[in-house]
Amino acid sequence: MANINYRCPCCRKISPDTHDLARHYLGQTDKKHKDWLKTKGLSYAQLITWQVTEFGNKGYEALAKVLEKEATKVEI
Amino acid sequence: MKKQLKFIVNGNPYDIWIEPRLLLVQVLRDELRLTGTHRGCDSGTCCVCTVNIDGKAVKSCSVLALQANGKEVLTIEGMANGPKLHPVQEAFVDNWAFQCGFCTSGQIMASNALLKENPNPTREEVQHAMDGHLCRCTGYNMINEAIRDAAGRLQAQKSEEKAK
Amino acid sequence: MSEYSIIGKPTRNVDGPAKVSGEAIYTFDMVLPNMLYGKLLRSPYPHAKIISIDTSEAEKLQGVKAVITGKDTPGGKYGLWRRFPELCDQTALAMDKVRFIGDPVAAVAAVTAEIAERALDLINVEYEILPAVFEPLEAIKDDAPLLHDDISNNINITRHVEWGDVDEAFKNSDYVREDRFIYGSQATASTEVHNSLASYDKGTGRLTVWSSTQSPYYLQLGLADALKMREGDIRVIKPHVGGGFGGKNSTMPDSVNAALLSMKTGMPVKIVYNREEEFTCTEHRTAMNLAVKMGFKKDGTIMAKEFKLITDGGAYTALGPTALYLTGTYATFPYNIPSYRYDGVRTYNNKMWSTSVRSFGATEAQYATEIQLDRAAHDLGISPIEIRRKNAMTPGYEAPGQYKVGSCGLLECIDKVEKRIKEKWTDLSKDEGVGFTTFAYMCGGIFNWIDTPYAFSGAMIKVNIDGTVDLFTQASDIGQGTNTVNVMICAEELGIGIEDIRLHPADTATTPVDLGAWASRETMMNGNAVKDAARNVKEKLIEIARMKLGENIVYDLEAKNKRIYLAIRPERGFSYYDIVKDAIKLNDGEPIIGVGHYTPHRKGMVSPAWAFGSMAVRVKVDREIGHVEVKDVIVAHDCGQPINPLGVRGQVEGSVHLGLGWGLCEEQPTDNGMVLNPSFADYKIIRTRDMPQIELHEVLTHEPEGPFGAKESAEGAVGPTAPAIANAIFHITGAEFSSNTLKPEKVWRAIREAEEKAKKPAKR
Repeated sequence: MANINYRCPCCRKISPDTHDLARHYLGQTDKKHKDWLKTKGLSYAQLITWQVTEFGNKGYEALAKVLEKEATKVEI
Repeated sequence: MKKQLKFIVNGNPYDIWIEPRLLLVQVLRDELRLTGTHRGCDSGTCCVCTVNIDGKAVKSCSVLALQANGKEVLTIEGMANGPKLHPVQEAFVDNWAFQCGFCTSGQIMASNALLKENPNPTREEVQHAMDGHLCRCTGYNMINEAIRDAAGRLQAQKSEEKAK
Repeated sequence: MSEYSIIGKPTRNVDGPAKVSGEAIYTFDMVLPNMLYGKLLRSPYPHAKIISIDTSEAEKLQGVKAVITGKDTPGGKYGLWRRFPELCDQTALAMDKVRFIGDPVAAVAAVTAEIAERALDLINVEYEILPAVFEPLEAIKDDAPLLHDDISNNINITRHVEWGDVDEAFKNSDYVREDRFIYGSQATASTEVHNSLASYDKGTGRLTVWSSTQSPYYLQLGLADALKMREGDIRVIKPHVGGGFGGKNSTMPDSVNAALLSMKTGMPVKIVYNREEEFTCTEHRTAMNLAVKMGFKKDGTIMAKEFKLITDGGAYTALGPTALYLTGTYATFPYNIPSYRYDGVRTYNNKMWSTSVRSFGATEAQYATEIQLDRAAHDLGISPIEIRRKNAMTPGYEAPGQYKVGSCGLLECIDKVEKRIKEKWTDLSKDEGVGFTTFAYMCGGIFNWIDTPYAFSGAMIKVNIDGTVDLFTQASDIGQGTNTVNVMICAEELGIGIEDIRLHPADTATTPVDLGAWASRETMMNGNAVKDAARNVKEKLIEIARMKLGENIVYDLEAKNKRIYLAIRPERGFSYYDIVKDAIKLNDGEPIIGVGHYTPHRKGMVSPAWAFGSMAVRVKVDREIGHVEVKDVIVAHDCGQPINPLGVRGQVEGSVHLGLGWGLCEEQPTDNGMVLNPSFADYKIIRTRDMPQIELHEVLTHEPEGPFGAKESAEGAVGPTAPAIANAIFHITGAEFSSNTLKPEKVWRAIREAEEKAKKPAKR
């Protein structure tokens, strides 16, 4: 049975859910990943700061919401 | 201009000409190549370089070499009796009273001077006498025990000598 | 199991006689014929572009043999996280800009150290000062000045770990608390400063470097990367080392520039840091900013934990990311945490970089954990000991996807310390109290960020015709006693005496790779390699003995007490020395060589084994002036089978000493990136009069992964010390702390705050 997966908009990474993809995304520090965030009105610095200063997964959740809309869905 | 320095180091007479600005630690290490005396700071605050001058513990970085003129200097190299370690040295080995060993020469030289003054010191007296000696490895307790162990060994040695 | 003849017996340090007689040679003591003295010119600015460097005046000074700047170097980038090229961010000298006060920009070699120093004053550097950033969270902002062009937001590394359903577990908790902490850094303050001596062989183009290092192999790799040379053309020798404490893992500018200057002049060059350089330009403990949240059941059972961490990275990488990683791991030790979430970030900024310092990660994580646990226990009406016992790790514990615990004597350690508190501290005054903590520490790291293709440790043994043994290992004895441990392990396995073994340590040209002395890895990793090599030799000897006995293979032979004999009939056997002679003669005179190695397998991602323990401190607080006196310390310690009880005690004593320093008096305040207390006069370390006595109990366990069941003992006891003191002060006065370095003023203020709080009617 095919599952819906999500492809990172900036590289070949494929994740089973957007939360996991967000986690991957914020682990990347290259310009391409960072710049794409800007085009979506997000700040890499803000997401990381949320993630490391506030309890919970606020940074991932904000990014996951965007990825839900923006990431290409692939069936595996 | 160089000045004459005549002194005795570890029982050996030296008659050398040195620049008057040189510290005793520099002459010991660089001129006489007695590198067992180490150097841990540049400010007279660690006691790593301690030697004995006329039986007293002195930081060799805090005296000019010329101040030792006419005096007897004892460094770590002069502690052992030929191939036989001095009782203070033996006690340091048996009590694991060193780790990296870099401050050890100074600790032993200060212990040597202390035990001459106070042959049977308490833990507190050792702490008081050795307070300036920085050691980053041991936490001091095993050094303290070694010094008190050495006190016993030295006394035993004395009574043995008397018996002879 | 049979009794050991050597393991577990108090044994004199094999380096002892040399170290107490001034004969032990440190790099600091070395002089080679024709040797030059090198000095480094360092940046006075935290962040600046180098416009130009004029070395012409310096070169003219009589006695100066070479002056080099960044453009004279091969420009190779290096670092300890070699798996990630972008994290290899150091160069021998600044190439285009300086990133902290002290970043080296030029190096001089001269016939005396004084001339080299004078030459530094004659080098003219024109800088364009750049805006600098010093605070980790400022550095992350989009408009912050960038330290490394290719690294956005100054983010060196991020980390996320999560297991269990954390949010659900917090919902199901009866009691949840959040606490925040800020820690300063700690200098390693080794008594021997960083120093290196390099000698370039003009004939072969090879390089020999003697250095005060914790890891000859890491230095060999760093030099190879920096100089763009083959590893094999660089020989690193570690003489005796005057302390490391985590600050001598990296390839530092002293060794790289001594090498470059030697290659340029064709003469040996030695660079020795002064004490001020040591305090301002060598690696220190990572300063941190962290938030911890824990959820509990009413009975004190931990349900969930969240850990948020920002570390103060400084200008370069070194082992800083490892500190980030380990702090997040140790935040779960030594307790059963069913659900856990960790986020951490290490950012670059314009200060000297932070890295590993003894018990790195554990000290920082445990301070928060142990303090928070006591606050929770207080609110839940449970004793500090009970809440720890309830949540303590037990043998076989596993953190999903992260690590596995083998042997674990934590509960026994808790019981032992509790018993001793009750027996010993029956006379507490009203200004005295007890702080109780537990701890765990790793036995070497499994991670391989250095990216070595070799086994993590190796050893070689050569047996001579008279039965004497030459043991070759690269393990780094920096004072902890590894040399003695290795000789003991070799002797036990071969069934010979310590006096039969000559050790040849820590020379990359003659010994198989070992990763060095960090994360308490030598006993576990090099010990296993030595044991493996000895077993290899033993098997060869047993084969000969078996042949001579004419027994078939079901009869086991043993090597013990210098004999090789039938296990079930010990009287049937031979002298070890005779068997060695036979083995060589019967095999065409071929020398007996044994090799061994060790790499952990299937032990998770962190460490092959974990040591445990618990600690109690008896503290007296002077409420009027805030002075804290640690009067007594009790430690129960599970290091598996202690190899050398003397060495184990030495390690625990030293660990407590460092922990007391971090907890009470050591700090490195900075102003615009400048360290304000760069001398032993201003940087306070614990002196002998401040040192309490330590009552140590070894709780014996057998660690299946360790050599003869051994685990680490070198670092674990650092971590529990400071929080035990903070907890004791909390119990005596109600004062709460959110940082380390509990100097009298801080304690006094916290006591006043607690008094104010107590006056208010609402219960805390």
